[in-house]
Amino acid sequence: MSVPKGASEALLSRRVIACVGAGGVGKTTLAAAIGLGAARRGRRVLVLTIDPARRLADALGVSLLGPEPCAISRSLLDRLGVPPNGALFAMMLDMKRTFDELVARFAADPAARERIFANRIYQHVSDALAGSAEYSAMEKVHEMSLRPEFDLVVLDTPPSAHALDFLEAPERLIGLLDSRLVQLLLHPAGGVGRLGLRLFQRSAHQAFALIERITGFGFLEDVSEFLLAFEGMSVGFRRRAEGVRQLLFGPDTAFVLAAGASFESVAQSRDLLTRLEAHGANVVGVVANRIRSWPDATPTLPTADEREAWLDQLAGAFALENGESFPARLAADAALAVLDGYAAAVARDREATAPLLAEAERRGYFVRRIPELPRDVHDLAGLAGIEQRFFANDQELT
Amino acid sequence: MLEANANPAGALRPLLDRRLVVVTGKGGTGKTTVAAALALAAAGRGRRVLVVETGRDENVPRLLGHFGEPVGHAGARMPGGPWAMRMDPYQALAEYLKLQLGVPALITRVLHQQSFRGLLDAAPGWRELVTLGKVWHLEQAREEGRARFDFLVVDAPATGHGLTFLDVPRVVVSAIRSGPLRRHARWVEELVRDPERTLLLPVALAEELPARETAELVARLRDQVGVSLDRVIVNAMQPAPFPAALPDLDRRLAALRETPGPPPSTWAACAAHLASRHALNRHFTDEIGEDTGLHVVELPLLAGGVRGPADLATLATALLAEESA
Repeated sequence: MSVPKGASEALLSRRVIACVGAGGVGKTTLAAAIGLGAARRGRRVLVLTIDPARRLADALGVSLLGPEPCAISRSLLDRLGVPPNGALFAMMLDMKRTFDELVARFAADPAARERIFANRIYQHVSDALAGSAEYSAMEKVHEMSLRPEFDLVVLDTPPSAHALDFLEAPERLIGLLDSRLVQLLLHPAGGVGRLGLRLFQRSAHQAFALIERITGFGFLEDVSEFLLAFEGMSVGFRRRAEGVRQLLFGPDTAFVLAAGASFESVAQSRDLLTRLEAHGANVVGVVANRIRSWPDATPTLPTADEREAWLDQLAGAFALENGESFPARLAADAALAVLDGYAAAVARDREATAPLLAEAERRGYFVRRIPELPRDVHDLAGLAGIEQRFFANDQELT
Repeated sequence: MLEANANPAGALRPLLDRRLVVVTGKGGTGKTTVAAALALAAAGRGRRVLVVETGRDENVPRLLGHFGEPVGHAGARMPGGPWAMRMDPYQALAEYLKLQLGVPALITRVLHQQSFRGLLDAAPGWRELVTLGKVWHLEQAREEGRARFDFLVVDAPATGHGLTFLDVPRVVVSAIRSGPLRRHARWVEELVRDPERTLLLPVALAEELPARETAELVARLRDQVGVSLDRVIVNAMQPAPFPAALPDLDRRLAALRETPGPPPSTWAACAAHLASRHALNRHFTDEIGEDTGLHVVELPLLAGGVRGPADLATLATALLAEESA
């Protein structure tokens, strides 16, 4: 096992920290806690979130609905222990709007813009096109990371069926615009001559004929009109997508993988970890979130032979405290059932997460276990508790 | 485990009366577990069941106790009786095109063209459409003079994507002007919207974010897709940790002078934690019921997790508890 690494050491020198994980593992809360931790260490931090718990936003005193980052008030920051040089902002990504914004920004002229918006295909597919929502989110991260008022952007990644769509989105959009098939659809007469190209054109026409036979007349025309309108904007678009890609996979971005405690969630997380590494993402830490764990030290549990004696002792203690009319035996049974149930839950979460955390440690990532709290984290005390767990044992590195 | 809800239980049409149940929900709510449990329950009652996974991972066979090779697109019979498959959209597309156009060699060639694959990778909606189309086809399939499968369970993609999934046929019908695809999309749309055959089964967790997202999903499905909904599954409910006669067991534990093993504070903290999780789940379960107006079916959180057929059977009993009554 390698020497455990501090979270702050791995994170605080970055410009972007991306919290990645399957749905439902508490990425939003984790991103907020990391943001708070960085602010407490004097960074000026923006937390970009997708879908915050409303009460968490309320607790931070932000509405998160505007198009601009919203600052957490100084008085609140004082209470959270954020020094004067630190700051914390929050912002919610509206993934539906941002793609329209992109079109508006990169369209050659107002007429081209209107042509795209009016296109039959665009109206139906802009939300779904090639991970466009995920792409738009990454675009926003890029834009915000360049703003001088922030040292660090903490990103709560988009919830998507494929949690890595957002990493692949820039490539796929560039790939689509560059694809020879699309080029041919746009310029059917262009570039004749070379044998290879003619062969390509023949097979492309086979593909088009196939599509046409299934979709009827007019569909390909709508598609090519849509792509043609896009083509005018593709230079700016491509340059920006390349910038986004470089930021995501460069040394300024660190990835933290969040995993839940169920067997299903851990399996997804291990798969995600492998794929992140295959993409060349700079993974630095793995967090097992909402793990049931003992409140203090791991207690002694009764052996099968001891159970009766334990129940007698408990019943005696209950009777002593609550009088003779109290159902002491029932209470003793219930208490032992609670301990049994709790022990089973702790054991299950430990067993489920062990392979993932061992794998992470072998690779030299920092590993954190965040305990499940009795309630949802929706207030500052809860957030501060998670922040302390996350940055535990490495405060000296601030 | 199941508690009385605003709707009288008798008003619900049995789940097993439908032909197609599409299980959906936010990631991490346990959709796949619910889909597998439902398939097992239906097979246990003599139905010819197919459970279809739509994600890139294959999880249902393992839950059903199948430990051999992945079953993939071809599918295989599982222990306990149901069939399971993991939809491969590329294979489903090839099957569809071959069926429609009848020129297998050409279709194989085109589908293997790298540039065509590139176009497909970026094109939206077709995966959902061919997946639903294949489900439609399987729903129609006949064998020995009867339906090949009389009960189909689809483990749909997580919400957001789950909504798009069911909405794609409608979008295709409005985006494409003519051709066989438009006609077929309309057939699929009819299946999705037919309350006699199809039910959408949302799965939620009784916590703040999933509760809110479930309410939003149900509202959008009603407005946009017109698919039949009658109940919502609330999964992983922390059961009441104390007997009804001892509602304050945690405080009484804290007051004890001496306990065997761990100190009174540890006993009390464990009890308080479970009680608090239970109260939280209770609160959001009620909220889900109120916000969606749907009947709520509660599935218990199993302390040891859901690992295999025995755990699924426990969940299946809870899923169908009201129907056997």
